[in-house]
Amino acid sequence: MKVLVVDDEAILLKSCRLVLEAEGCDVIAAASVDEALAVLERQVPDLLLIDVKMPVHNGMYLMRQVKQRQPDIPIIVMSGYVTSETIQEAEELGAATFLPKPFTPDELADTIKSVLANVKRKSEGGES
Amino acid sequence: MLYSTRSKLLASFLGVTLLVGAVSLFIGVHLIDQNVFGEGLKRVQQDLSAAHEMYLTRIKHVKTSLSITTLGFAFISSTKEHNTADLVVRLERLARLTDIDFAGIVTEEGRTLCRLGAYSFPGPASRGMNPVAKIVLEKRVAVSGTMVLDRDTLINENPELAERARIPLSPRPEGGSDPASEESAGMVIVAAVPIFDGDTIVGVLYGGILLNRSEGFVDMVRDIVFQGETFEGRSVGSCTIFLNDVRIATNVYTREGHRALGTRVSPEVKAYVLDQGNLWADRAHVVSDWFITAYRPIEDIFGKRIGMLYVGVLEEKFARVRAQALNMFILITLAGMVLAAAAGVYIARRITLPIQRLIQASKQVSEGSLNPELGPPANSEIGVLQKAFGEMVAAMGRRRAASEARIIQSEKQASVGRLAAGVAHEINNPLTGVLTYTHMLLRRKDIAPDMRSDLEVIVEATERVRKIVKGLLDFSRQTKLDPEPTDVNRLVAAAISLVENQALVKGVAIKFHPGENLPEVTLDRSQMQGVLINLVINALDATEPGGHIRLFTAASLSGNGVAHKGIEITVADTGCGIPPENLNKLFDPFFTTKAVGQGTGLGLSVSLGIVQRHGGHMRVQSEEGKGSRFFIWLPAERKTEHESTGG
Repeated sequence: MKVLVVDDEAILLKSCRLVLEAEGCDVIAAASVDEALAVLERQVPDLLLIDVKMPVHNGMYLMRQVKQRQPDIPIIVMSGYVTSETIQEAEELGAATFLPKPFTPDELADTIKSVLANVKRKSEGGES
Repeated sequence: MLYSTRSKLLASFLGVTLLVGAVSLFIGVHLIDQNVFGEGLKRVQQDLSAAHEMYLTRIKHVKTSLSITTLGFAFISSTKEHNTADLVVRLERLARLTDIDFAGIVTEEGRTLCRLGAYSFPGPASRGMNPVAKIVLEKRVAVSGTMVLDRDTLINENPELAERARIPLSPRPEGGSDPASEESAGMVIVAAVPIFDGDTIVGVLYGGILLNRSEGFVDMVRDIVFQGETFEGRSVGSCTIFLNDVRIATNVYTREGHRALGTRVSPEVKAYVLDQGNLWADRAHVVSDWFITAYRPIEDIFGKRIGMLYVGVLEEKFARVRAQALNMFILITLAGMVLAAAAGVYIARRITLPIQRLIQASKQVSEGSLNPELGPPANSEIGVLQKAFGEMVAAMGRRRAASEARIIQSEKQASVGRLAAGVAHEINNPLTGVLTYTHMLLRRKDIAPDMRSDLEVIVEATERVRKIVKGLLDFSRQTKLDPEPTDVNRLVAAAISLVENQALVKGVAIKFHPGENLPEVTLDRSQMQGVLINLVINALDATEPGGHIRLFTAASLSGNGVAHKGIEITVADTGCGIPPENLNKLFDPFFTTKAVGQGTGLGLSVSLGIVQRHGGHMRVQSEEGKGSRFFIWLPAERKTEHESTGG
């Protein structure tokens, strides 16, 4: 399980890495949208965890890029400032779910698990 | 507009004044005319009576003089003896003492013994007997009155008399043919008295006055009745004796200044007085002037109408009086009109001045002043208007203050919201870090128990921070309303169902009294539901077990400024109530009375924000120890959305 976490805050990247590695995931951290895009050139993660508000390009921009190239990768959008507009935009762009900051390790783990379970159910359903 | 009201008032005043003035002038002129003329007529009728009385006195005077003469013994014996020389002397003496023009003595056989004048001693065959003497001989009593004597009779009496009686006639005014060119008969006042010797008539004494050309009587009437009053050199009064319709004695003058002898009365007067025997009283044109006149017929001894007596007053004199009265009257009326107009101007100004002040005041108000100059209060309907205007301005002031307070409140919310959004966003990242690391540490089995409890304190504290930040975010999150037509009763019921369990656990009853016939409102259901839940949970927190919470809905007009149809939702509890000093701060962000960690102090503030963005408002009533009532008013038709600056 490979998870790409994109956030300009180092503390968040570190927190996510701590929790996700404890859950047995490989974590790739990217501090910016450009960095994330560079990672995506080389690898295909199983899941993306993207912050909305970042300098230069924001999370929504990244989502559009990802959806163009690899529309099947589930994306969790996280933000410290949740408005119905951002949730709506994220949903329209095909986000799997929305995770408001701050979150506890359990909340993060549960979210990822449920998203992956959904994906799995969908793909199984699609195959059958 | 302003001036037209004033000029309309003025025009009405002047109009009414002119109308009243004109009517009173019309009536006044008419009355004065009638009064002055009526007075003239009355006077001239009285004057005619007086003149007639004088005429009768004149006749009596002649008769009396003759009667006295016949009583003397010497006179009786001279008559008996036909002593004409003595009798003539006596007649001449009689004529001297009285003003008779002719006299004579007739024997009982009808022979004229002697006369005054040229034919004093008529021969036995000639000179017929005077007709009045004949009447006395036939009736054997004294007679007196007026008679017409023909020319021959006059010549018999005295040729000079006949000559005096001749009056040349003016042509008839109607121009009819009249063969006679002069009047030759004489109109006389005459009396005849029998001369008694014991019971035997020995003769008749007769005498009289020729009225033709006589000035004595008419001038005496003028001088005594009218007391010689003159008007612009002319005598005011005039008197005339007519023989038939001809003036034979008069002091009416022609334009040339002669007595108007020989002129005739108008045919109307002649017909009315002479032919029909009536009294005439009216204005008439006499010779050359207008007179107010009166005529009466003169009858002779036999009762036949032979002439007329006339008196008249120069109409010009009355016209002058009338003109003076009229002038005075017109002057008074005009003065009254001017006064009324001046009063009108004054009153119009008094009425319009406060109105102008009010207009000025409303201009001041429209320019933003809430303390306009109304001027002294008027004690009329205008005063009521002034008062109402003042109250209106005061109400506007209160409303403005209220809306300013609301603006301040929402600005406060907006700035807190912006701040909160920024802070929350920045805090959430490190908060995630703290939460992650403490939780991860707690998962480890190798930590000492006291360290574990320290870590749990950190987690607890961080959870509190998280809650506060969440509250801040909720407060600042002013998302767009998603309004749709909503049945408020169903909305309230749905909100109650979400908190019912919590209430059940606490032992507090929630009861809903839905109102009927509520107007439909359009609102964001989920946000408004949040508001209701927030209020009910607040109520629940304030209420002890066993208490109850009641919700009401009702159609209601907005109590805030202009009446507007809407719905009022009431949430009432039997809780601890709110101290009066806290009522004002209740809706301020971060104001809370709950224990630390129990509330963020943002719930009511957020609720108010949502209600306000629906165009509604919230208020609270509370009594400490008894409970609180929160009222939400929502407009029936949604007004323009109060979209706020935050977001």
